[in-house]
Amino acid sequence: MPLSLLVSNMIGSHEILVRNNRVQYKFTVNRNITILRGDSASGKTTLIDMIADYSRDGAESGIVVRCDKKCVVLERGNWERDLKDYKDSIVFIDEGNSFVRSYGFADMIQNSDNYYVIATRDSLFNLPYSICEIYGIRNKSGNRYQGTKRIYSETYPLYNREILHGKPDKVIIEDSNAAYDFFRAVCGKEGIVCETACGKSNIYKCVQNANEERVLVIADGAAFGPEMERAMALKRVKNVVFFLPESFEWLILKSGLIDGNELQDMLKHPGDFIKSERYFSWERFFTALLVDQTKDSYMSYNKSSLNSVYLHEKNKDAILKTVNEEADAELFGR
Amino acid sequence: MLKVFFGEMPQALYSTSLYFDNTYFDGWLDDEFAQKMIRSVDKATVLSGHAVESKALGIIPPTKLSGGLKTLLLIYNEPNKIFNASTCGDNCAKWLLKIPKVLDRDVTVNLRHIMDFGDGNFEINILNDDTVVHNMNELVQHAVKFIGE
Repeated sequence: MPLSLLVSNMIGSHEILVRNNRVQYKFTVNRNITILRGDSASGKTTLIDMIADYSRDGAESGIVVRCDKKCVVLERGNWERDLKDYKDSIVFIDEGNSFVRSYGFADMIQNSDNYYVIATRDSLFNLPYSICEIYGIRNKSGNRYQGTKRIYSETYPLYNREILHGKPDKVIIEDSNAAYDFFRAVCGKEGIVCETACGKSNIYKCVQNANEERVLVIADGAAFGPEMERAMALKRVKNVVFFLPESFEWLILKSGLIDGNELQDMLKHPGDFIKSERYFSWERFFTALLVDQTKDSYMSYNKSSLNSVYLHEKNKDAILKTVNEEADAELFGR
Repeated sequence: MLKVFFGEMPQALYSTSLYFDNTYFDGWLDDEFAQKMIRSVDKATVLSGHAVESKALGIIPPTKLSGGLKTLLLIYNEPNKIFNASTCGDNCAKWLLKIPKVLDRDVTVNLRHIMDFGDGNFEINILNDDTVVHNMNELVQHAVKFIGE
């Protein structure tokens, strides 16, 4: 997979400005799925209504929308037919549209080259969205012009990185394959209990059932968005911390074990290379990239079972160094 | 008491904003408790049954109230129906707890997310397993099982 072939139309980040004489929204969408939630009356519906008005009537609406991509609004009714017509666009969907929870919707957007901004408090378990792309809207400032107050709003991330102080007593790994093989070996040496959740939707059960004092969950942040709400809620009743890098494969790529300046440069801004039509979420891209970059070499990566070379002391230390750097803590000794 | 069913509930009205726009009565805005909710959630003052003055949007019709507030007004005025209260943000939670007290009757809502009812004590009947919980810690332990079902 030559890196130069990964570039397509719908990639990277896109700045959006939406404005009338009373409100202005300025924000950036970074990935194929963005979720808007947060308090009532923060302006989610107003934003989407303004985009819908502009989409219908253009400049005659009196609304300004600035973006390098077409912004459209998808509504219930003929959403399937309408969605087929949208290409290379940023599609906004307001809350109250129950189709966003359907398998049909997930299927359709998986193979489209659009980005989606969805206002909902439902956890959309059919969609693999990132923990980094769940936002609230807040008022940043306001001013008065010709007697009218204009409010300036921005989006802000609802979840921030957590810091674990001290070593965990138990580690729960999202998957049951290569990542689990790796962390089970690491935990075994340190006398830490390591368990696989066999999928992200089981993590909350594992956390609830854990009897250990301090629990660390390691999961792929690139697709953990739907689980984030109940994960955070469990912090009320359990001493649990979530370490959510993009994915295990991303940690390996970032560790420097795989040579290549082009690769390291790409990892600084992967969104510019990840074609939304091809990769529903970023962790799938990182897996494909790692498999491709290591094929036919002694480092050959297989997601279903860890190549033991990654557990060789030097390689393991390089990955754990990246783990600790990303966690901003000494999660594991090296 | 507030009764909550977590997760999918086919009989609950999901698109509350649309339903409100087509069913509300002007008189709903005359009510003192409704006006308190409007002030608290939307930072808006009722001018009449047709108009509300919002701090952010100026003078607007009731159809431009926030989705969360529309849902609160529906729950308050049509307590025999069940509405999707996940259209309400956490800033609506205290009002959801107050509505059954003001109406002096049980009120049932559907939640598809874990709403934060704050750090205080309360009584909520979780209908999925018919349990009464008294604080967020208890609520979370039950609700996580039913979200996503």
